[in-house]
Amino acid sequence: MIVGGCDIGSATGKAVIMKDGNIIAWSVVPSTTKPEITARQAMDEALQKASLTSIDDLDYIVGTGYGRLKVQFAHENISEITCHGRGAQSLCPSVHTVIDIGGQDCKVTSLTDNGKVLEFVMNDRCAAGTGRFFEAMARVLSCGLEGLSSLAHNSVKPANISSQCSVFAESEVVTLINEGYELSSIVAGINHSVAARLNAMVGRVGLSQDVAITGGCAKNEGLVHALEDKLKAKVMKLPVDPQIIGAVGAALIAIEKAQAKVEA
Amino acid sequence: MESKLKSKVLQEFQQATSTLVNPALQSWKDQGGKVVGCYCSYVPEEVITAAGCVPFRIRGTGSTSTDLADTCLSSINCSFSRHSLDMALRGDYAFLDGATWVPTCDHVRRIYDHWRRRVDTPYLHLMALPKKVTDVQVQWYSEEVAMLRDSLAKHLGITISDAQLWDAIKLHNETRRLQKHLYELRKSDNPPITGAETLAVMVAGTAMPRSHYNQLLRQLLEELGSSNGHSDQRARILLIGGILDDPAYIEVIEEQGGLVVADSLCFGTRTMWELVDEQESDPVAALGRYYIQGRPQCPRMFGDQPKRSAFIKQMVKDFRVDGVISERLVMCDNWTGEQFMFAEDLKEAGIPYIRLDREYIMAGVGQLRTRVQAFLEMMGR
Repeated sequence: MIVGGCDIGSATGKAVIMKDGNIIAWSVVPSTTKPEITARQAMDEALQKASLTSIDDLDYIVGTGYGRLKVQFAHENISEITCHGRGAQSLCPSVHTVIDIGGQDCKVTSLTDNGKVLEFVMNDRCAAGTGRFFEAMARVLSCGLEGLSSLAHNSVKPANISSQCSVFAESEVVTLINEGYELSSIVAGINHSVAARLNAMVGRVGLSQDVAITGGCAKNEGLVHALEDKLKAKVMKLPVDPQIIGAVGAALIAIEKAQAKVEA
Repeated sequence: MESKLKSKVLQEFQQATSTLVNPALQSWKDQGGKVVGCYCSYVPEEVITAAGCVPFRIRGTGSTSTDLADTCLSSINCSFSRHSLDMALRGDYAFLDGATWVPTCDHVRRIYDHWRRRVDTPYLHLMALPKKVTDVQVQWYSEEVAMLRDSLAKHLGITISDAQLWDAIKLHNETRRLQKHLYELRKSDNPPITGAETLAVMVAGTAMPRSHYNQLLRQLLEELGSSNGHSDQRARILLIGGILDDPAYIEVIEEQGGLVVADSLCFGTRTMWELVDEQESDPVAALGRYYIQGRPQCPRMFGDQPKRSAFIKQMVKDFRVDGVISERLVMCDNWTGEQFMFAEDLKEAGIPYIRLDREYIMAGVGQLRTRVQAFLEMMGR
């Protein structure tokens, strides 16, 4: 059985194709202003990698993410909260808390032993602690997103950044630059301030180990270390790109749905 | 969830909810009737009715910006206070012959201050509102009711007799009975009316001449008796929160399949689930008892949280609710603490619960949809 999961986020579109429960191809493409086109582009790229000629080769497709209603080729849509939980736990069965840091949202989800959502919180209507926040910081520091990940490693003393608001945090960063702070120290400060915010969100649902981070920002190692520090817990390393976990979850749900359809 | 009702009465309620001055209120004004605004559900509207005026709950309906209000309020003020004051500054509340306040919270108190300085309303009255709910505060609030009665009577050059107060209490109790009847219908497996439609019915009640409203509501109840109910819902939802007067918000929840069957809102059960005691000897004392102790309280009251929590749990049971959605306006400190306490209480009781933040004028529909959908999925619906 071949199924697809398609996760259309605010920053990127992701597609995963699974054959008999194994990932055979995946893709990440930048989001366009038309989610239906982003979805098509992500899926076409994954199909090509899987050496499939047509979307009709897929038995079932589940759409998820912010643009899930616009994945026109999907048979069904499921919220990204459910999908990230399912994806993370299936790849790493000991995971019971998922921190998804996407382009415009961050979400913390606690899971039961069988991958069901027990409780979740999302960030309030605010960009703090999201990919957009990191993009803004990378811009003002002229270091690129990779820089945010690598620069913090060398720092022992994170600069103090008190504001959680992207706009005000940016002003604080500008002040720090002008006061002559080391770039690495400012970057560490940014990661620590976001980790503090995420720590509070984890506190709301209650930390239940193990922890996994999903979404594009999980690639920021500086942030992962800062979070481990705050949570006093180890963050599990996922065996695939953390950015595609939502699409993986969607594909796994697609398998269930396809089986249910066959049985029905 | 598609509306199944093709009711003209319901349309009249919906129209009244989507505007400030509805045709029934306009015709009351045209006949020389007076309208007195109430800035919170803790204003004893019976006193205004007894004075021969129509009590009108002040809202921010139709506001699109807060630029006038933002000259004297800041971003720490909730969007309800900013939008409603903005409308007053724009002149949208020029139809009011008076306005009455209670210091519900610091935001609302500031609105009174600015309204007094900048808006030309002929009569303004600020009541005190106790923070606790013991007999001492009942006595205190009763005195405030008496002071409102004297002040309004003096302004209008009339007297408000005990008999007039009792008539008003009976009229408002009749509204409560009818509204509760409407809610009782929603206990069924196939509720004949959606949560969004119900909210429109409730909001309209705070904006129309009361006898006219009661008559319309009686008519609606008759129509509902013969209508088909909703059966395609994924889950039955109890919605709790603060000043929610926009049916479109509930529509988003219901579009995801979560049928709102009951609530604890101040445009909902909190203002009508219980009745003012008509057997008391003194109408002022009866109102004092009702507003401070007799009805489900708002989280701005201290010492009452366990009772509020018990009320929610009872509603969950009575309406066979699958999950509870709690909404609050960003910056509402009263509801912030309450949401977290409810979270603990409901978790303990094994009742699925989610808390949401909201702006008074609806924004961020995508985020709301995601949260509600995930909540329904979480419940396995």
